[in-house]
Amino acid sequence: MALKGISAATPSIRALARKHGIDVDELALELEQGFVSESDVLLKAKGGSPVSPSSGYWDVDHGQFGPGEAVPTTRFAQLAAANLTASQQHIPAVTHHDKVGMDAVESFRKTLADEGAKRGIKVTALVLHVMALTKTLRKFPTFNASLMPGGKELWLKHYYDIGIAVDTPHGLMVPVLRGTNRKGIWDIANEVSKLAKRAQNRKIKPEEMGGASTSISNLGGIGGHAFSPIVNPPEVAILGLSRASYEPVWNGTKFEPRLMCPISLSYDHRAINGAEAARFCAHYASLLSDPRRLLL
Amino acid sequence: MSGNECDFVVIGAGPGGYAAAFRAADLGRSVTLIDPRPTLGGVCLNEGCIPSKALLHAAEAYRSAGELDEWGINFGKPKLDLATMRTKKNTIVSNLTGGLKQLAKKRKVSVLVGSATFKDANHLSVDSTDGQQTIRFKTVVIATGSRPVVLSGWPEDDPRIMDSTGALALTEIPKRLAIVGGGIIGLEMATVYSAFGSDVTIIEMAEQIAAGADIKCAKLLHKAMENHGCTVHCNTRVERVETTAKTISLTCSGAFENTLEVDAVIQAVGRRPNGDLLKAENAGLQVHAQGVIKVDGQCKTSAANVFAVGDVTGAPMLAHRATHQGKIAAEVSSGHSAFFDTDIIPAVAYTDPEMAWAGTLPHQAKAQNIDHQISEFPWAASGRNLTSGAKPGLTRLVWHRPSKRLIGASIIGAHAGELLAELVLAIEMGATIDDLALTIHAHPTLSETTAFAAELAAGTCTDF
Repeated sequence: MALKGISAATPSIRALARKHGIDVDELALELEQGFVSESDVLLKAKGGSPVSPSSGYWDVDHGQFGPGEAVPTTRFAQLAAANLTASQQHIPAVTHHDKVGMDAVESFRKTLADEGAKRGIKVTALVLHVMALTKTLRKFPTFNASLMPGGKELWLKHYYDIGIAVDTPHGLMVPVLRGTNRKGIWDIANEVSKLAKRAQNRKIKPEEMGGASTSISNLGGIGGHAFSPIVNPPEVAILGLSRASYEPVWNGTKFEPRLMCPISLSYDHRAINGAEAARFCAHYASLLSDPRRLLL
Repeated sequence: MSGNECDFVVIGAGPGGYAAAFRAADLGRSVTLIDPRPTLGGVCLNEGCIPSKALLHAAEAYRSAGELDEWGINFGKPKLDLATMRTKKNTIVSNLTGGLKQLAKKRKVSVLVGSATFKDANHLSVDSTDGQQTIRFKTVVIATGSRPVVLSGWPEDDPRIMDSTGALALTEIPKRLAIVGGGIIGLEMATVYSAFGSDVTIIEMAEQIAAGADIKCAKLLHKAMENHGCTVHCNTRVERVETTAKTISLTCSGAFENTLEVDAVIQAVGRRPNGDLLKAENAGLQVHAQGVIKVDGQCKTSAANVFAVGDVTGAPMLAHRATHQGKIAAEVSSGHSAFFDTDIIPAVAYTDPEMAWAGTLPHQAKAQNIDHQISEFPWAASGRNLTSGAKPGLTRLVWHRPSKRLIGASIIGAHAGELLAELVLAIEMGATIDDLALTIHAHPTLSETTAFAAELAAGTCTDF
């Protein structure tokens, strides 16, 4: 192994291993093999299969406790499971919780209702969240980044693509909205609704996923007041949105009812520190509490 | 980018430089390619690989025409017209450089004719026909190549004393020609000039010609060069050079202790990286001895956003290595994962016969204590070789005994450079000697010699 002139894999598999930061010679040693295959590298990259049959935790004779049945999981669910497991195993993630005042966004959305009806486009709160996130990423470039293999460099992305996690009958999908910094409110609204519809119908192409700046996981339409989204590697952050509700907010002299949306930002602590995350969220909140600031 | 702001700048338009430029353009970068020559392609296309191969083709045709008597074919004494040959060679070169120009245009690569030096870590100063200008770059790739080493203490400005560039200009066929340096370039020049009638003497300092090549194959080539009428002195150095209007005298020492009287000399003692001509220190870059700019496996230099590829990064100075590096530099600087992840870089001497090798050769395996075996097949037993001129030939395979994997190969014989490709792939793919033996090679071909050598190792050969 690791003998000069003898490599443990073919050129394409060596390139694949490099991409995943894996040393093929070390992997060959670890596997006690003279040669490393594509599947060896992929398995290593994913940190092993999440529901590996060899894993004792899941190797249980359920029947002894009562009746039940095994139903297959979808391929989407299996792929998502591998990514989620890799994220939990490899990323020291922290979730920062904050609240965003949405009253100004709501009154702005009302003013767009008529024009939206004419255009056949509904401007949801999510559209404004995408715009605020894009704007905030511009101010905080280390959130629009990925760690390089080996962890010695951070790859800063010079584009703004936002992944939108979509709950579909066949599993979780994260299609990506490309170039959100170059798009206006109508374009984003139009694309968000089309992407969601196509995701529901399983019409998302492989090239429409992956490579995002960061992602949004929106549970606002369902409920909850906080959660801990899992960072989608190789991204370094994900923004979770919960259901907005009216809360009493002290304005200095009295409590007033304000529409508050809870946000939960999970981030890779290797790339981002806590104070930065808090500032990120505060800036984000300031943009949405007065959407005119999105123009600045 | 507007004005003199450049996104991706490549200095040098040789095989490494244009590969970097074109790949970067394909990856969406806005590319500026700077080279002092009015044509693209660098030394390789303009005064190296390509013109030398054109002359070698002509030399082979000329030589073979005289070797067909025993086949009952006699062309009479062939006539040489150097002017026509030069035109033909130059046409080939301009076809290729013109093609590159089209490829650059297609990719919207802007080409700047001029010489660049570093002003600081983000700026280049470019001297061009339009005057001096300053360019601010985001990424720069140094691909300035190398130049022939000039022997010190030799007379300067004597047109009879040439480097490889001068030799390829083919101004005349000297009656007596000395070639100092028996490396690939020297041997190729010896092949050309001896075919056209020069009385060639090769003077080599080391104990074998084609330093680094397989010892056994190099010996066969040595013999072949002598059969072409060349005199080869190994272990010999030139101590003194004296010129008169009529002759050049080379006083030699070592294995050949004598004075050689010749009409012209080609210096072919190696090439020197051009890292020293860039004012690279202004960018905080260290230029190492012999003008080398060191890079890591991703072609990164010690300065951020400065990459280097090709000859300027040191040995082996080969165009195909430069091209591979050029693409890596473009990809890495554009955020892609790429790595120069191999030691297997084929080398080819376009001599008569050709000689080509790659990977770990027997003498290297021995020096590195690698548990290996050698398996070889002489071409005297190849039907295809016997029916096409019966030139000397040998296919040698080196394999790692415990794993049976091929680790090196050396071939001498017609089309050795082409035949080697199969073995380079075999090494990269981790093929064993059994894989080669069990792969069906067409009969009768020269490629069979590879299968035969592998079968000899496996003990299954019935052709030897």
